[in-house]
Amino acid sequence: MAMLSRIRAWLWGANDVSQHDDLSQEINHHLAMLSDERLGLGATPEEADAYARRKFRNRTAIREVVHELNPLCFLHAWTAHLRIAIRTLLRNKTAYVSATAILALGVGMSVAMFSLVDAVLLRPLPFPNQESIQVIWKVDPLAGSHVEELAYPELSDLQESIPDLEFVALMPTSLYGYSRVLQNGKAEPVQIESSPVSHDFFRVLGVSPVLGRNFISSDERVGAAPVAIVSDSVWRNQLGADPNIVGRGIRLNGQGYTVIGVMAAGVEFPRGAGLWVPLGVDRAVVDRRGETFLQAIARTKTGVSRERIAVEVNAVFQRVARDHPEDYTRSQQGAVTPLVEYWTGSARVHLWIMLGASLLLLIAGIISASNLLMSRTLQRRYEIATRLALGACHGQILAQLASEGTLIAIIAAAAGLGVARLAIWFLIRWAPGDIPRLGQATLDLESLCFATGVAALVALACTVIPGWAATRMHVESALREGGARLSLSRREGRTRRFFILAQAAVTVMLLVLASLLAMSYRAMMSADIGFANRDAVSMNLQLHGPGLFSAQAFNAKYRRSFYKELLNRLRETPGVTSAAAILLRPLEGTIGWDVSYEFEFETGNKDNHVLPKTNYEVVTPGYFKTVGTPLLAGRDFSEHDSEGSEPVAIISQSLADRVREAGYAPLGSRIRLGLSHDGWSKIIGVSADARYRSITQSGSDIFVPYLQAMPPTNYLVIRGTQSVGDLATLVRRTLSSLDPGQTIAGVATIAELIDANSARHRFNMILLLWFGVCAAILAAGGVYSAIAELIADREHEIAIKTALGAHRVRLAREMVSGTLGFVLVGEAVGVLAVFAFARFGAELFYGASARDPLVLGLVAAFVFIVSLVAGLWPAWIAAGDDPRASLRAS
Amino acid sequence: MGGQQKQIDILQGTLNMMIMKALQQGPANGYEIAKYIEQRSDELLQVEHGSLYPALRRLEAKALIKAEWRVSQANRRARYYALTKAGKRQAVIEHSRWRTLVQVITRVMRPA
Repeated sequence: MAMLSRIRAWLWGANDVSQHDDLSQEINHHLAMLSDERLGLGATPEEADAYARRKFRNRTAIREVVHELNPLCFLHAWTAHLRIAIRTLLRNKTAYVSATAILALGVGMSVAMFSLVDAVLLRPLPFPNQESIQVIWKVDPLAGSHVEELAYPELSDLQESIPDLEFVALMPTSLYGYSRVLQNGKAEPVQIESSPVSHDFFRVLGVSPVLGRNFISSDERVGAAPVAIVSDSVWRNQLGADPNIVGRGIRLNGQGYTVIGVMAAGVEFPRGAGLWVPLGVDRAVVDRRGETFLQAIARTKTGVSRERIAVEVNAVFQRVARDHPEDYTRSQQGAVTPLVEYWTGSARVHLWIMLGASLLLLIAGIISASNLLMSRTLQRRYEIATRLALGACHGQILAQLASEGTLIAIIAAAAGLGVARLAIWFLIRWAPGDIPRLGQATLDLESLCFATGVAALVALACTVIPGWAATRMHVESALREGGARLSLSRREGRTRRFFILAQAAVTVMLLVLASLLAMSYRAMMSADIGFANRDAVSMNLQLHGPGLFSAQAFNAKYRRSFYKELLNRLRETPGVTSAAAILLRPLEGTIGWDVSYEFEFETGNKDNHVLPKTNYEVVTPGYFKTVGTPLLAGRDFSEHDSEGSEPVAIISQSLADRVREAGYAPLGSRIRLGLSHDGWSKIIGVSADARYRSITQSGSDIFVPYLQAMPPTNYLVIRGTQSVGDLATLVRRTLSSLDPGQTIAGVATIAELIDANSARHRFNMILLLWFGVCAAILAAGGVYSAIAELIADREHEIAIKTALGAHRVRLAREMVSGTLGFVLVGEAVGVLAVFAFARFGAELFYGASARDPLVLGLVAAFVFIVSLVAGLWPAWIAAGDDPRASLRAS
Repeated sequence: MGGQQKQIDILQGTLNMMIMKALQQGPANGYEIAKYIEQRSDELLQVEHGSLYPALRRLEAKALIKAEWRVSQANRRARYYALTKAGKRQAVIEHSRWRTLVQVITRVMRPA
């Protein structure tokens, strides 16, 4: 214990034990001997003392030199600095607490955003050498299509022609329509997202099953025994984590499958897939080039660049298009995308922008905090001048300020991590569900490193700027003024004004972004997307049966009669207003069924291969009424539009306009769908335009009656006076009375689909509004403290002016005008920055432009008014103060 | 101060050597060491007494000298320094090195 207390004494108070240590005694002895010398010669004690001290020279300096010989000296100095830092912080609580709180908020938000970006974008996928995995599809610029799908025979085209690819596999472009009903024993049947894949799929990804075996080529043959690989989560949740599952049978869509493997945890690719089955087991799929619903995924050999693969892939597609003119358009080109980009999609841009915005907020926070700390430093100039006069070097003063900055940074970082934890928890729960791997965001090592980096930046900013101001002071004049306030030097004033300017710029940028997002959201929500009945309930009904496209396995006649029966029963139920079915419900995803089309009056005008494409839907009668898409002309389909009757179609408004422009009446015109000469359909109705792919994407649609089309109507829409849950139960009950093996999934009202579709936008908007408001508060605080500082500096002058009868309004105006001028300049800088970066954010906005003068003007005005109020408030009060009090005090 | 003759500052790096020379005569305290150097130089060398102590601490840290508290002749408690074995050896080495250095520099500086 004695040892400990000595160490403590040494660390915390070397100066206090100075009278007792060896060196002091030794020096005292030496001084005594020197003065004895003089006393012996008859000098007075004072003279002798002075002589001794002169001869010995600077006693304190000697002590310091000796002290620094100690190898632990730096620790000692540091603890001394820290001690003073803590004392300073405690003495100026308000200023430092607010500075630290501001920083904690900034650090917390940016660390939280970084964790999200890290989880979604930076952390590698669960696949080895992910950078050599490419996703391949086609685009057709002439037909205006972004995704042109591949057919099964193209697998061998790619495999045989491109030796640079190590493995190639095929998977569907989207998962709609492939989910399977899994029945395991007596448990309720569940619908599982599943993906048919060609047998090299997992070899492309570089993963293999943890139990059982991978697909091999013999699994993927027409007539092969049906096998499946299940995901880790399906194995755990639906199959009871049975260790002997390999080789056991499960029922998928009522069909027996053998489980051959359980995939490693985390592999749920394509997104959300819970089981995989071999793709090439259907004669209709394997041979037909027209059956396009796939994309390729390939692993390149090491050292082969994406660009080279893109060139090779494009060459293959061009050659195949020439060889099979009946199946492909000549204008189609290969599109090769790295898997990482494909995986994260548009979440990429959004997250980077959010991280950028949070960093802007952090910068605003750092500016505010160093602003606050600088005022503190200026107020402490007497203390600092005294220290300099007593022989402290600039380095020591800086070290003192640095330890204060470090202390603040450490506290802010610790508090910021707490904020970040909370923010991450909140963001994950609140964020749209379509951002992959968002749920994995945590405060991990990377985030901690990021936080440390940010904290170091904070410490630096909070030290260097005040320190720079402090070491530039004139010691003499500071001391001569005896601690009275000095007016800001020109340089300090300039620093302060730069702060104001920078803050105004950052605030304008954040608020412009936020208001544009808010405007886009409003535009999105008020846009007529073509579905008036937002209470209509939609759900997925995969008729289960054998084969790849389960519903097609039923003969069309059976399938249609099943739907007819189901819908009739539902319609007859009391409380149900209407019920219908459709191929792909609205807003299910950005990829849907596209069909190329040609009007009869256009025949021959266009090359067969450059026909335009548009959204294709198969619907039952009553669909339009159920979802509330108005029929503008003509009639709805009826049960009489059947196999035997004349083929008919309904087109949407924008297509009808094209017909009218060409000088024809839409009703009664004829349209041909698809590349093959299947024959003509008569247009019997025109519907309003509706947005099927995304609420921000307008397009045109072609509808055909379910009795005349091959693709199945996989989604039910039902509307009634009952609650959503009751309607879903009703459908389930009706369904099981028809066929107990069928089940529904994905129950959602149209309103919920719209909500989900705009969720990401809403998320961005609220987050940015929050950032913007924080930045505005910080900016207002900055202006307020600048004006308060100015007033404190010029208290005397103001008092004299008031005493001489200056008008209060004029005085207040005089005080704020300079600062507000800099706010204006800062706003101009912010507006220019928004202008410069407008194109990067363009995809975020809908119906709003970053260069909208109204938005820019309003935001600038808002920031200006906030600054004005923040500045005028202290100025107005100061201008009204009784001048006598202030003059008497000085 | 004397004032008749210009006093000379101690040459950089020679203080240690002179301290060890002083201690070759036997244990001494800081004041005695300073006095020894001043007297041996006929008061020409200007010793800043305070600067002895960092030098003494350095020598102590290198274990060339050791120190103990004793009562001085003036009946005061003082810290007495003495050469260690290594210190005695080092003192001889430094002395001969210094002699060589002086000879060499003298040769360089002789009138051309």
